[in-house]
Amino acid sequence: MGPLVPQEIIGADWNLFIAFAIGIGFGFVLEQAGFSSSRKLAGMFYGYDTVVLKVFFTGAITAMLGLLFFSLFGWIDLNLIYVNPTFLGSAIVGGVIMGAGFIIGGFCPGTSVCAAAIGKIDAMIFIGGIFLGIFFFAEGYPLLKDFYMSGSMGPLKVSDVFGISGGVLALIVIITAIVMFKLGELAEKRWPREEY
Amino acid sequence: MTIRNIIFIGLILLGVVIAMVPENTTKPYKLTAEDMLVEVQGAAEMVTADEVAHWLVSKDPSLQLIDVRTPDEFQKYHLEGAINIPISVILKDENRDYVDQGIKMNVLYSNGTIGSHQAWMILRQLGFENNYVMQGGLNYWFDTIMNPQKPASTSPDEEFAKYDFRKAASGVFGGGSGVALTAPTQSKADKPKVKRKKKKKAPAGGC
Repeated sequence: MGPLVPQEIIGADWNLFIAFAIGIGFGFVLEQAGFSSSRKLAGMFYGYDTVVLKVFFTGAITAMLGLLFFSLFGWIDLNLIYVNPTFLGSAIVGGVIMGAGFIIGGFCPGTSVCAAAIGKIDAMIFIGGIFLGIFFFAEGYPLLKDFYMSGSMGPLKVSDVFGISGGVLALIVIITAIVMFKLGELAEKRWPREEY
Repeated sequence: MTIRNIIFIGLILLGVVIAMVPENTTKPYKLTAEDMLVEVQGAAEMVTADEVAHWLVSKDPSLQLIDVRTPDEFQKYHLEGAINIPISVILKDENRDYVDQGIKMNVLYSNGTIGSHQAWMILRQLGFENNYVMQGGLNYWFDTIMNPQKPASTSPDEEFAKYDFRKAASGVFGGGSGVALTAPTQSKADKPKVKRKKKKKAPAGGC
């Protein structure tokens, strides 16, 4: 049956509308989780607030179990699901830059838009920074291109790298998540902060 | 026990279930039995030997003949420009690009209709487009195109036109007596349309 758009069960023209609806929902959840507060997000790195970890792990587990069970019931063909290609070198450097920006700015790109929507001025400046980054990256692309494309590994799945089935990996991720939840709560007790 | 712990245990149980079941049970067949019944009754997958002859003579670039017989039979005789994909290996990965594509019009043939139609049934159920079957296969090809029989004098004009074309085509394919190639019997409108395959677009995402 699924995925709906690649199988042309619904037209590709619906892509943008569906993305819009999901985007609204995503923003709503981010806001409800309190992610429009840069202190809450930065708390992840200082240990006094680990809600970010919990929300994203929960989201990942929900999507993962949903896809695997849908596949089990024959509702979706996982071979047609788009998997982001891996470029190892640029992914590591990009991750470090993103993480640094996350700690310094207190937002990730999605949450900065959320926070700007409720009028946070620091988030608006953060978005300005995002656009500056996009501009300089685009202008400097010819210089960065070789590195950007290095370490290409194709559309890689973690389960394939370790040679285990997607289901076993899912179980490992679930157990990891629960352990991380507990560790996060220990960290919150260890490095508490009164007001933030 | 707190609600949290119940949720944790539930998640672990779901994880255990998903770890133990087979990976991807999505059926590769895209068409249901009912879909196939409609397709088979419509017989839109059938092309005649005359149509194939016409496409060959006019060197139609979208035509791809696929011989589904054994390599031995293919060696002995095959139609011009045909490639050999025996039915036993039709599902192999290396043949995937030939049978699942949106550029060419594949015409499958075997000695009769059965072998090529078996191959077509499998490919069609997998959802592949642009595959057709040459009706009657090579046997019919030899009877009609290579050795055309003169129609009875009372036959309608179309029969004679067909006969003339076959006679001329057989000359091109190296059989019978060469007569200058005259008008083809098929109009261009009869040609099945190649269904373009949509390319998957790369969505982008992030937090």
